[in-house]
Amino acid sequence: MAIFTVNHLCREILRDHAFRAAMKADPVKALAPLDLTDEERRALLAGDVGTLFRMGANAFLMAYMARFEVCGLNVETYNQRMRSVKVDELGQPAA
Amino acid sequence: MAQIVAGFGVPHTPIFPFFVKRDGPDCETAKLFAAQKQQLAAARPDVIVMFDTDHLNTFFLDNLPIFAVGVDKTFTGPNDEPREVPVYTIPSARDLAAHVRAESIAAGYDAALTQHFSVDHSIAVPLHFLTPDMHVPVIPFFISGHVPPLPSAARCYALGLAVGRAIEAWPEPLRVVIMGSGSFSLEVGGPRMAPGRSDGVPDPDWAMRVIKLLEQQQIETLIKEATPYQLLKAGNVGGELLNWIAMLGAIGNRKPTYIAPQMTNGHAYGVWRWS
Repeated sequence: MAIFTVNHLCREILRDHAFRAAMKADPVKALAPLDLTDEERRALLAGDVGTLFRMGANAFLMAYMARFEVCGLNVETYNQRMRSVKVDELGQPAA
Repeated sequence: MAQIVAGFGVPHTPIFPFFVKRDGPDCETAKLFAAQKQQLAAARPDVIVMFDTDHLNTFFLDNLPIFAVGVDKTFTGPNDEPREVPVYTIPSARDLAAHVRAESIAAGYDAALTQHFSVDHSIAVPLHFLTPDMHVPVIPFFISGHVPPLPSAARCYALGLAVGRAIEAWPEPLRVVIMGSGSFSLEVGGPRMAPGRSDGVPDPDWAMRVIKLLEQQQIETLIKEATPYQLLKAGNVGGELLNWIAMLGAIGNRKPTYIAPQMTNGHAYGVWRWS
């Protein structure tokens, strides 16, 4: 259930303006206290939303990272990275 | 007794208030909402019951009801910062909301209770255009339409029927409008976005099919075809159609006054009015 932390922190970027500012200023530090796997932390810091999506992160929660431009993301890079994920007819990651 | 006087199907695209402010009253979205606003005013609602899917803002993945009713004197929203929308305090009708919830549970639809709550753009954006004075009380009825497994279309239609019966059993002579909020085919922030956009329309054929079935009053066919598979195929918010289907259950099987498609967004503006 660790992906829950990823989903939750994405919503905190929307809700908690201090956390949003911390994520923009120093994401390594802002994420340090959170219960994330190494893989999740690495993907978050790299703005690798495609990997996070394949791990089960929610797409419209992750879109807050693009909207508020954290972890090197913006609408354009987010769009490109998400669109490069291969999906099946239901929009789920293809095996 | 309370009576249901009209049904509305509304989009809730969070960027629309920004676009309308930028592009003025002659842009397509402004005109489509203005036409609905006029229809709504003519229906003279005392209360609006809005079937809505929350985008993990009122609820979250730690506590996610399939059905829930907001029961309070007022609520606030939007809580997710869509551009050019102030945070409104929206009046509600607490006693009627509690009644609708109780009657839904009695009919077998176990709706969770939420009080002291806020709502996101999916309620606030349509109200921003349709009742900007926030003078009409609104009761939100939440249906889980984004996070699978989704409730079935047949169950949401039957829920709507139960809500309609509950409203018409209410002793006050209120004029009640039922709304359903959301899209038919839309992917938000997911891999099926269009290039350069933050959303996309993965299944425009399905959106057209929905509109045709609504126009032809073929509700049974719509319910049969709106399978969980089809709703997910239509996009990661394709389940919002369930809000329209619940609204149709509440108003009864009627012919729409009009359905105005907006295919670039995979949605439509629907009005059902009668005498």
